[in-house]
Amino acid sequence: MGASLSISSLFGKLFGSKEVRILMLGLDAAGKTTILYKLKLNQTMTTIPTVGFNVETFTYRNIKFNMWDVGGQDKIRPLWRHYYSGTQGLVFVVDSSDHNRIDEAKTELHRILNDLEMSDCLLLVFANKQDIKGAMDPQTITTKLELSKLKERPWFVQPAIATEGEGLTEGFGWLSDNIKKTPKYGGGGK
Amino acid sequence: MASSQFAPPYLKRTSSAASYANGANLQHRRSLSTIPPSRPTRSPQPPVGMTPEMDRTSDPSFKGKTPSTGTGASSQHSSLSTSAQPRYDAAVERPRKLRSQYPRGSTENHVEYILVASFDIDRGPVMEHQYPVSITGDEHMLAELMLPDQAHVRNQDWTIFFLHKDTSQEEDEAERQAKEERKARRIRKRDRAKGIIHESDEEDEEEADLDDLDDDDWDDDESTDEEPDGFEGPPLVYVLNLVNTKQDKTVKRGAVVKAMAICTRHPFLHIYKPLLLLALEEYFKAPVPETLAMLYDAVNEMDLSLMPKLTWLERHLLQSSENKDLFVEKFEQMIQARISGRSGGDVDQPLDASKGPPPPPTVFRSGSKAHIEGHAAYVVPRDTHEFESKVMYKGIPIPVKVPVAVMPEIVGDFSLIKLIQNFSDSHSKSPQTFSLHPHLTTNGPTTHPIIVLINALLTQKRVIFLGHNMPSGDVAEAVLAACALASGGILRGFTRYAFPYTDLTKVDDLLKVPGFIAGVTNPTFEHHPEWWDLLCDIPSGKMKISSKIEPAPITEGLVYFQQQNPAYANLIHNSSSSGSASNDLTGDAAFMAGILRSITTRAGERVIRAKWRTWVLKFTRIAAAFEESVYGASALYTNDEQDANAMGAHGHGYVWVDESTKAKELAGNVTRIEGWRNTRSYYSFIQDVAQLSAIRPLKGLDLAHLHDRLRTQRLTPMQSKEIYDTLARHVHSYDEICMLLSVAPESHTGLFYVALGLFHKDRDVRHRTAALLERVAEHEAGQHWWRILSRFEKLAYARIKREVEAEGKALVEKGEGVGFGEVEKRVS
Repeated sequence: MGASLSISSLFGKLFGSKEVRILMLGLDAAGKTTILYKLKLNQTMTTIPTVGFNVETFTYRNIKFNMWDVGGQDKIRPLWRHYYSGTQGLVFVVDSSDHNRIDEAKTELHRILNDLEMSDCLLLVFANKQDIKGAMDPQTITTKLELSKLKERPWFVQPAIATEGEGLTEGFGWLSDNIKKTPKYGGGGK
Repeated sequence: MASSQFAPPYLKRTSSAASYANGANLQHRRSLSTIPPSRPTRSPQPPVGMTPEMDRTSDPSFKGKTPSTGTGASSQHSSLSTSAQPRYDAAVERPRKLRSQYPRGSTENHVEYILVASFDIDRGPVMEHQYPVSITGDEHMLAELMLPDQAHVRNQDWTIFFLHKDTSQEEDEAERQAKEERKARRIRKRDRAKGIIHESDEEDEEEADLDDLDDDDWDDDESTDEEPDGFEGPPLVYVLNLVNTKQDKTVKRGAVVKAMAICTRHPFLHIYKPLLLLALEEYFKAPVPETLAMLYDAVNEMDLSLMPKLTWLERHLLQSSENKDLFVEKFEQMIQARISGRSGGDVDQPLDASKGPPPPPTVFRSGSKAHIEGHAAYVVPRDTHEFESKVMYKGIPIPVKVPVAVMPEIVGDFSLIKLIQNFSDSHSKSPQTFSLHPHLTTNGPTTHPIIVLINALLTQKRVIFLGHNMPSGDVAEAVLAACALASGGILRGFTRYAFPYTDLTKVDDLLKVPGFIAGVTNPTFEHHPEWWDLLCDIPSGKMKISSKIEPAPITEGLVYFQQQNPAYANLIHNSSSSGSASNDLTGDAAFMAGILRSITTRAGERVIRAKWRTWVLKFTRIAAAFEESVYGASALYTNDEQDANAMGAHGHGYVWVDESTKAKELAGNVTRIEGWRNTRSYYSFIQDVAQLSAIRPLKGLDLAHLHDRLRTQRLTPMQSKEIYDTLARHVHSYDEICMLLSVAPESHTGLFYVALGLFHKDRDVRHRTAALLERVAEHEAGQHWWRILSRFEKLAYARIKREVEAEGKALVEKGEGVGFGEVEKRVS
């Protein structure tokens, strides 16, 4: 859990660039597509609502991330489950300034994590939009999302400002470290 | 929380497995309530050709005129037929009155609904407007289909999808009864017509009229009076949809995504593309129902009434012919009838008020008006495969070209060539190896992907076309092409289970369908091999057989075949051996090589389609031969015993050079034939065969078989005499000649083998063949076949002709008539 915050070892580089599938979810307008293109192109794009999904591949720390960003309107959330199979990491994006919908976000997050196909995947939460006044801090987000309920699963909350790119590398740093530890990736587990 | 609780309420529809059923409550189109009371009246204005080219405007004296394209051959022929030749009058040449495919005053609209949907940033896809009335059913699902995945990354995208409209049981029952009545009437009529050449029976005429009107009123779908209806259920509603994404800083989140769709029963929905482009643009400016109404009225005023209706034989001939003049006479005749304003024809005759709903009052009897507009207003199409018309939208004439010969399962605008090339290029560079499946890899692990695809379709597998990052219109096109590939215009049951564009929202419904063809753009589908049997990835040109595909069962037919042909048993492809890989038992490797060669030598789409049609036809005939040899009988070939006996037994079925060739070819096909049996396309083919055999000319005679024997086998003079005599004896009427032409397509050898009868050593055979060819040459379609006949055969014909005339003169002097006269007697 919080303990897995260690700096990545140099050995990580030995594990070639195997592709890992990352699924990025969150309520609508949380900033998912902005994060995706910031990571992929290092550009801040003006995004419009995602009809369906976006998928991009990029390499970070020798890991090839195949990252899926799926639209978040409540009507299309039921489709998220079709993206679960084969997913090794879940990136859940929260609009930290949206106090009204943080409960809704919690419900959706736990619904995802309870799915059998998601039982082995890592969880990275981006507490996005930290630049907005009154944004909840990571600790509040952790509490509101009831992350302490999660037992075996490695998770991490990263404050971020997607439009500035702030926090993204840190978040993916944590993700790559932990991916290298998973048995699927050739790591020895915990 | 279990994932099962995750199912959203709107996916829990209890629709029938085979249907998206959003049209479940659509009123039947016959019921007037679906038609707005203020239905626009069709403009009586005739279509005007888009070009000033007038060289083919109808000639008032067109009857019996030689088309301008006729070569010396026809004139040579006409100079020969000066003496007492069997000249066919109009009644013989055209036993049926020529009718319009889309007559004026028909209750059918070209387009039934116009829809507009948009992507709401809070709610996702929503329906905005529907015209003329709301298309009942699951609106939300429709809106989802109209806004395809990733519509936000491109400015414009097309999709196509089909709606399955259910009718109530009552309506089905009523329709079936009505169809039976019509059929019975047709049979009576035909029986009466048998042997009657000069048909002037008043009552008969009247009945024919009723019949015609009835048909026009009811059967504008695939079931004409000639074609089997099938039991596939009500016709599909085809939807053509255009999505536009416009960046707009003034709106929340910076963009507006809107889609407009046209819902029609016509399979040629692609003609509406330019109109949708204009209308959606208009809707961005004026998002009100009136914008929909304007489009609706414009498309429904399109006049197709001068497009002649063809019989199934004529359609097959036109479809497989490259000839741009084939049946041009029919177009001229339609125009002629319109100009003379002749009554009695349905060309401008409104519906009988007692039969159907009352016609719009302004439409009928426009003959005089047409007169005023003058002759030059009518133009015969440059290519008889397409009827040219126009749609007036906001004062701009938009030209449209409507296919004349609409075949089952041919929907929209697609290219078989594109599909074939897409999946051949990477295969030819580095042959892809498939994991073996008896139904699919009929030539072993390196079976050509297109053959794997057609096998998958024939054996009713779940096929997905995936086009990640492609416009959804492109995947839809691939799906439509695949349907046409497997159907060949012969087999059915593909488009009805096709989902040209679908996405994850529909996957639960999709998976209820046993065997489907779907187009998707979302690569998630690839991660779910349990959802499909064959995945065709369009961007890479690779196909993948699912690791989770159901293994093919060992069937009785397979076991029987092995027992009957122990010598060939080990050639049969099964998952443990790849015996048929190297020796191309099916002939598919050679066939594909031929197809690719044609494509590289720039053969047209029509040529390639005709070749596939031949492949499909051959497959059905091999399957029939297989069933007969293994099960002792086959419903794929129904030959009425009585008819067969009346005709004299002449054999039937596919023809092989010898028995061992036959056994090998059957061995190569066993597994896919067994996989085809029990599929939808198999059963509907059996029904089609049964219905066609009831209405087709020359019952009990397998012309294809006779022609194939002439073509492939070494025959003794006695054997060939028998065949030539049979042909000459039985092929007389318009339809019979059509039938003969259909088994000897221009694209193959035409009538070459038939005309070889001109060189038979038996004099009578030579003379009878000449008489047959003469009938063909005078035939509306046959004249084109005659024209391409080889020169040495034409010379032989001319020689025989002179011989006969000389003999005739001599015999007349003696007072007896033989030779051609003999034939003539039979005719009249």
